[in-house]
Amino acid sequence: MAAPHLPDIVSLAVPGFVLLVLAEMLVAWAKDKSRYEPKDTLTSLALGTGSTVAGAITAGFIYAMATWLYGHFRIVDLPNPWAWYWFVLCFVIDDFAYYLFHRSAHRVRWFWASHVIHHSSQHYNLSTALRQTWTGFISISFIFRLPLFLVFPPAMVLFAGGVNLIYQFWIHTEVIGRMPRWFEAVMNTPSHHRVHHATNPRYLDKNYAGVFIVWDRWLGTFEPEREDEAPRYGIVKNLGSFNLIWAAFHEWVGIAKDVWAAPGLKAKWNYIAKPPGWSHDGSRETSETIKALWEERERARERVEWMKPISSSSEEDRAVPRRPDGSARTAATR
Amino acid sequence: MTHAQLVQLAGSIIAILALAGFARWLKLGESRIATEEDARRFAEEALAGFEGGRALISGDGSAALVQGQGTIAVLKRHGAKVAVRRLVPPLRVREAVEGATVDTGEKLFGPVTLFGITADQVRGLEAPLTLV
Repeated sequence: MAAPHLPDIVSLAVPGFVLLVLAEMLVAWAKDKSRYEPKDTLTSLALGTGSTVAGAITAGFIYAMATWLYGHFRIVDLPNPWAWYWFVLCFVIDDFAYYLFHRSAHRVRWFWASHVIHHSSQHYNLSTALRQTWTGFISISFIFRLPLFLVFPPAMVLFAGGVNLIYQFWIHTEVIGRMPRWFEAVMNTPSHHRVHHATNPRYLDKNYAGVFIVWDRWLGTFEPEREDEAPRYGIVKNLGSFNLIWAAFHEWVGIAKDVWAAPGLKAKWNYIAKPPGWSHDGSRETSETIKALWEERERARERVEWMKPISSSSEEDRAVPRRPDGSARTAATR
Repeated sequence: MTHAQLVQLAGSIIAILALAGFARWLKLGESRIATEEDARRFAEEALAGFEGGRALISGDGSAALVQGQGTIAVLKRHGAKVAVRRLVPPLRVREAVEGATVDTGEKLFGPVTLFGITADQVRGLEAPLTLV
């Protein structure tokens, strides 16, 4: 079977993205004006546009490398390689590769430096979905997708990646609460992804899925959204600036400064390869230290709750006026 | 870049400016730090282990300072949200035309001005933390 012409579906989807952002703005205007902020929206969309420019510049190299890998190092010749079921399999495996990339993007500072752009908005709306990296190529995040080129035709893999990206657009919203239970069980949803974008200690470093939430459930990184704990979006140290260049490069600047100042080669390497927030003297906050502090505080609060008097020997009860026989005079008997 | 890509880029830039303009026209993004309780909550949510005490609120709801246990949280409204930094006293504070300005030491976060608050009030907030 000859290779079919696969469209650039992300470019085709852009008008739909624009219309949906417009619709979500109208919902925000009617329900909660704080869901959108003009400067934040402009920053997100400008970062998204810059990302497509950066992608266009590096796409040729990526495609050439993918074609070379597929041509020279293919480990299997699929029968009828453009059959629909190979598309489905490719899509599922590509989504797992996305999970691995995404988890690494939060746990390895080098990858985080590129990915942090997507999390740097304190808002969570459809424009946030378009806030994409400029430095994905520099961070070599494409390596997670390379194994797929040893099996599937490059155009198929890149098409699957495009579908994955489009799927993830609609989950960046607070307009949708929960999807039906069966859908929430299998698919990534607005509810699951709100948790991923949250900085609440309970929610940090959870729900890395792209399309199928089953990877998180399987690998122990799933956390459901709770009714009693609304997500707070952004990053642990929010930028406090709408500067486009700073949003795109601040973590790279941070790495450069830390590596320069680090004592010894091991510390220099760790500032690149350890999780965000790692420091050689332990003076900074990581997800782990933030979670530990929060858990300690929660335990302290629970202890206070337990120590609150609840029996009739409580101060409130003792304050109730007594009859001469010692029985309490309740409001009804007064 | 090809001609088609340049056209696409131009279209994208027009679209993003239109969307941001639409958000502005709808007056989206309104918010304020209204009360001391708000300020304490924002600080405690943003800073791990922070226990908020007394607070000073800017008269226009755009900023606040919250006393912690050994540190001060400086809050500024950032769009419709609030951005927070933890500062170690003594703060670098100066009188501004209509209030007091606290220097955060970060160029891009910028200094934070509290309207209707004097530098002496800021020093009063940090005084218990600087006693030795």
